[in-house]
Amino acid sequence: MAQAKRNYQRIVSFFAVLIVVSLIVLNAWARTEPTKVLCRVETDRAVLPAGNSQNVVLKITLDAPPAPSHIKRPLVNLALVLDQSGSMNGSKIEQAKAAAIEALNRLGLQDVFSVVVYDTNVHTIVPAQNARNIQGIIHTIQRIRANGSTALFGGVSQGASEIRKNLENNYIHRIVLLSDGLANVGPRMPEDLGRLGAALIKENISVTTVGVGTDYNEDLMARLAQKSDGNTYFVESGYDLPRIFSAELGDVLNVVAKKVKVIITLPDDVKAINIIGREGRIKGRQIELYMNQLYGDQEKYALVEVNIPKSKSGSKIKIAQADVTYENPFNQKQEKSTGISYASFSSDKKKVAKSTNIDVVKEYQLNLNALAQEKAIELSDKGKKKEAVRELKQSAAKLKQYGSLYKDDQLLKEADDLEVQAEMIEDEGMSKKSRKILRTKSYQRKNQQLSQ
Amino acid sequence: MTRKRSIIVFWALFLVPTLIMAVVAFKLLSHEQERLNTSAILALSERAKTISETIHLTVETVQDNLTQSLLDLNQDRLKKNLIEWEQTNPLVRNVFIFTKTQSLEYPVRGMESTLEERRFITRYDSLLSGRVKFDFHQDPSNEGVNIKGMADSYPDSNDDSVKKKPKKSSRQKLVALSKVQQKTMPQEEENNFLEGPENQSIEQSGWIPWFSENRLYILGWVQKYKNGPIYGIELELMTLLSRLVIDFPVLSEKGTALVLMDGNGNFMHQSGNLKADPKEKPVEVVSISGLLPHWRIAAFVDDKGFTSARGFLYISAILLGIFIVAIVSGGILLTRLTLQNIKDARQKTSFVSSVSHELKTPLTSIRMYAELLLSKRVKDENKTQTYLSVIVSESGRLTRLINNVLDFGKLEQGQKKYLHTAFKMDQFLYQIIEAHSIRIQNQGLKIITEVEKGKYGVKTDHDAIEQVVLNLLDNAIKYAGEGLFIKFVLKKEDGDILLKICDDGPGVPKEQQDMIFKKFHRVDNSLTSKQPGSGLGLSIARQIIRDLKGDLFFEPMPGNGSCFIVRMKNHDSD
Repeated sequence: MAQAKRNYQRIVSFFAVLIVVSLIVLNAWARTEPTKVLCRVETDRAVLPAGNSQNVVLKITLDAPPAPSHIKRPLVNLALVLDQSGSMNGSKIEQAKAAAIEALNRLGLQDVFSVVVYDTNVHTIVPAQNARNIQGIIHTIQRIRANGSTALFGGVSQGASEIRKNLENNYIHRIVLLSDGLANVGPRMPEDLGRLGAALIKENISVTTVGVGTDYNEDLMARLAQKSDGNTYFVESGYDLPRIFSAELGDVLNVVAKKVKVIITLPDDVKAINIIGREGRIKGRQIELYMNQLYGDQEKYALVEVNIPKSKSGSKIKIAQADVTYENPFNQKQEKSTGISYASFSSDKKKVAKSTNIDVVKEYQLNLNALAQEKAIELSDKGKKKEAVRELKQSAAKLKQYGSLYKDDQLLKEADDLEVQAEMIEDEGMSKKSRKILRTKSYQRKNQQLSQ
Repeated sequence: MTRKRSIIVFWALFLVPTLIMAVVAFKLLSHEQERLNTSAILALSERAKTISETIHLTVETVQDNLTQSLLDLNQDRLKKNLIEWEQTNPLVRNVFIFTKTQSLEYPVRGMESTLEERRFITRYDSLLSGRVKFDFHQDPSNEGVNIKGMADSYPDSNDDSVKKKPKKSSRQKLVALSKVQQKTMPQEEENNFLEGPENQSIEQSGWIPWFSENRLYILGWVQKYKNGPIYGIELELMTLLSRLVIDFPVLSEKGTALVLMDGNGNFMHQSGNLKADPKEKPVEVVSISGLLPHWRIAAFVDDKGFTSARGFLYISAILLGIFIVAIVSGGILLTRLTLQNIKDARQKTSFVSSVSHELKTPLTSIRMYAELLLSKRVKDENKTQTYLSVIVSESGRLTRLINNVLDFGKLEQGQKKYLHTAFKMDQFLYQIIEAHSIRIQNQGLKIITEVEKGKYGVKTDHDAIEQVVLNLLDNAIKYAGEGLFIKFVLKKEDGDILLKICDDGPGVPKEQQDMIFKKFHRVDNSLTSKQPGSGLGLSIARQIIRDLKGDLFFEPMPGNGSCFIVRMKNHDSD
């Protein structure tokens, strides 16, 4: 009995020591954790049903490390492009000013800051400069008055030109565009602004777009952000602006990888079918994707549908290999990361079902839902309200089905939200607000926008 | 009458030139305004032209540069270089390689291309499928061909957009200075191609403005060797525009705008703070160049003209207005003074004759009675008494008259001195009435006296007050005419003493009531008037009373007749 007790004590003390040691080791490991992006390639089910050829969803996940606290973060070159057209008058312009000052306060002395305002014309009120003379800049910002038209294109162009003054240096370049109205001077087609974004990203300039109120063109704003790899936000009233600017700056100050490129190589007998939610290139056995920037602790992923050949039960094959290359902004070095996915096959249906990777299924469904939302917008634009509502409701039902199957709260909540949205559209038609919510949400989902 | 005519003539002489001057000045001003407007519009369109030339030059330079860079590409690694270029150069939207076997080498049709590349292929389908030659607009025989996928219009000046390999021109030297910085390609090694007959260097190139779905795209292509591939780029128009608008000059004039418009009349950029309406007609339109077909710069001006020029008109009009007002008011002042002088002169003449007349009447009586008494023909004691009393009363009247004239002179010069003594107004009134009762009764007038109970102590100049009251009494006797009585009222009102002297004569006509206190004024101003008078009495009376801090005013009697009221400060405390 006493022996047993002593044994028991010994075991307990051994485990205690083990726990302490492992904690120390873990802690040390966490501290020295390399600032490296990890790449995972997963299928929706770890075990696939054996038999005929089948389509499988691949999720290529990039796990960004947290920004290392002991290394100086990369400097930021931020241009705020603010709408001061007549419609901004009142609380909107006041909140925009507050937001601009909030953003300025979050910058460090070495960061570069500029402010461009636009109405019918475009004015640079704070030329690119270090965020040192804060009081002077705040004073200038507070003198902004709203009136005139909306020269959005000119504003972004001018903002870009302020950014370009420091383009050669290793900054994180970012334009934050704020608008509450339709661009009525300068190009105004979403496609045109998209092209501007596509050109700016070649110079490593991203444009984040913030739409205020329900009168701006969400397609234009989303396209500009998408093509330049910025974020996009919709705020109904001006009061959310300081929070949004703060969140956006949190992202910008937290970039841990730049120029992220993913090349997925498939074995000979696996065929690429489709890229879901992202733009990319399928070159035979290779799939090329660009993701541009990763923020600290962000999980960004791509979903790809591939076709797998006939298989025997019990066999195991390599499905895909993903090679990630990116620039580490902390040391300006090119870094690489690789992820490989294997799949085994089984005829046991239970085993297959059990191996479901809920995360992949969930993200896949959410992305399909984002696409459904975009389709609904398109349908409603064509005047097909009923079809749009049906599209949304179908997508909601599907989300609900998966949500209850895997007991996932996020899916269920998303389904509920969408149903409410669909019913609203059914009752009142596609309101400006609904359209903006759908457009912005689908964008944020497809691009895994961190702050929302 | 002649005077009136001369005044009219004076005014005519004065007004006509002023008006003519005003009209001429106004016309000149509005001409000046128009001239200013025209010159401002001219300056604006001049600016528009300069801008359009700059844009043309920039676009041309960019295209020349890109052509040169394309030609300099290493032919061995063409595809790799082009793709790299597309990924890094914001001016490059798409790249393509078209081989001599008439097929598209890059981008590849299908899933291997991005959506953008697929759209690119669709856009240029007729070119990239080989149906249309790249140099189609260089060969006149091809010009009539109707090409599917191309819009109705091609640039009017195709010669401009298609060039042989540009030589080192002065324009190219400008590249270094040009605002749109060309990303220069890494200098490739001289190519290793042997100059065989099939690899004969021809270095053809061109830029094609291409319309698809009513939108402009610009494609540049080169062919270095006769049998080599045709390759090139699609220009990123938005980058070009984005860079161009930054250097758009700022317009400081209010009410003007320079607008860069695309082929569909959409505003691409605006300078100047006028909110230009796309539906409005611009005052000037300048086409940019064949490189950007149908793009133009339009100048807009506010409906009401230039604000600055309008300011000029306003200020000039105000100055002119002040000038005219000054002249006219000067004229009016002069006329008034002249009229016043004429009136004064007339009144003085009338005054002199009235005074002479006034003086003459008592003098005549005095002299006549004095001579009668001197001749001692009047024996009757009573008659002698009457004559003497007439002489006394007439000399009294004469004295008063002369006093009035003297006082008038003193009052006018402000030299009259007053001697203040305290006395009772009621006693004073009774004395006056007693002294003059005979005179009044002789005129057949009854004396009515109404004195309210109370103390009527005053402290003022006794003689001056007497003079005033006698003047009023004289007037009453003089003008009572057919009347029956003269009424004296003494009472208090608001602590002041009121002395009313009223008659029931014909009264004063309403329109004359304001005038009677003016000096020299007489209701009947003609020399032949029934009643003699200098026209000074009331004027002097009011002047004296006001000097003594009281007042004198007129009040018509109910029915007919008139009342003159003297208001004085009561010196007693009750």
